[in-house]
Amino acid sequence: MPVAVGPYGQTQPSCFDRVKMGFMMGFAVGMAAGAMFGTFSCLRIGMRGRELMGGVGKTMMQSGGTFGTFMAIGMGIRC
Amino acid sequence: MSRNFENATDTPCSVFFPWRIVDDCGGAFTMGAIGGGIFQAVKGFRNAPSGMSHRMRGSLTAIKTRAPQLGGSFAVWGGLFSMIDCSLVKVRGKEDPWNSITSGAMTGAILAARNGPVAMVGSAAMGGILLGLIEGVGILLTRFASSQFPTGPQFAEEPAPAPMSGPSFGDYRQYQ
Repeated sequence: MPVAVGPYGQTQPSCFDRVKMGFMMGFAVGMAAGAMFGTFSCLRIGMRGRELMGGVGKTMMQSGGTFGTFMAIGMGIRC
Repeated sequence: MSRNFENATDTPCSVFFPWRIVDDCGGAFTMGAIGGGIFQAVKGFRNAPSGMSHRMRGSLTAIKTRAPQLGGSFAVWGGLFSMIDCSLVKVRGKEDPWNSITSGAMTGAILAARNGPVAMVGSAAMGGILLGLIEGVGILLTRFASSQFPTGPQFAEEPAPAPMSGPSFGDYRQYQ
C-alpha cells in the first residue's frame, strides 16, 4: 500500500494522522449513536433522572470507544 | 464507509465497478477480524479463571472462536452495503450522502429479513441512522480540514486517483 506518496505532495496526511483522524471520527460517530440508542435502551429499562444521565453517558463512552477503535483499524489497514 | 464503518467513497464505483465491492468486503473482514481480536482478547482474558496460563489460553480461545465470526459478519455487511451503494450510484446517476444512507438502511433491512418485518424496520433505522451520522461527521471533518489547509480544494478536481491511494476526506467536496 502506498503510504505518504500520492499526487498531493505535502498535503497528504501521514499514516498515523489518518489513524488518529479515523479514531476521532469514529469516536464522534459513536458518541452520537450512543446518545441516541443509549437513551432509548436506558429509558426502556426504566432509568430516570440522574441515573438516566449516568447510563446514557456510559453507553456513549462505550460505543464511542468501540467505534473509534474499529474506525482507526479501518483507516490503518488502508494506508 | 465501511466499508461499513468508513467513508464509502474511497474508490469510485463507476470506474472500478466490481472491484470496489470486493475491496470493501475484504477490508471489512480485516477490520472486523482485527477489531474483534482486540476486544475478544480483553474479554477472554477477563472471563477466564484466574492464573496467568488460564487467562492467556482463554484469551486465545476467545480470539480464535469469535474474531473470524465478527470479521465474517462485517464482511457480509460491507459487501452488501457496497453492492447496494454501487447499484444506487448506477441507477440514480449521482453520488451523494443519500446513497450511502439508503444503502445502509437497505443493508440492515435485508440482513434482518429472516427475523420478520418489525426487526427489518428496526435494523433499517439503525443502519440508516448510523450511516447518516458517519456521512455527517465526514462532511464536517472535510469542512474543518479544508479550513485548515487553504490549498485543499485541489483534491476535488483530481479525476479519480488510483484506488485506495486517494485521501479519505476530500472526496466529499463534490457533494457540496
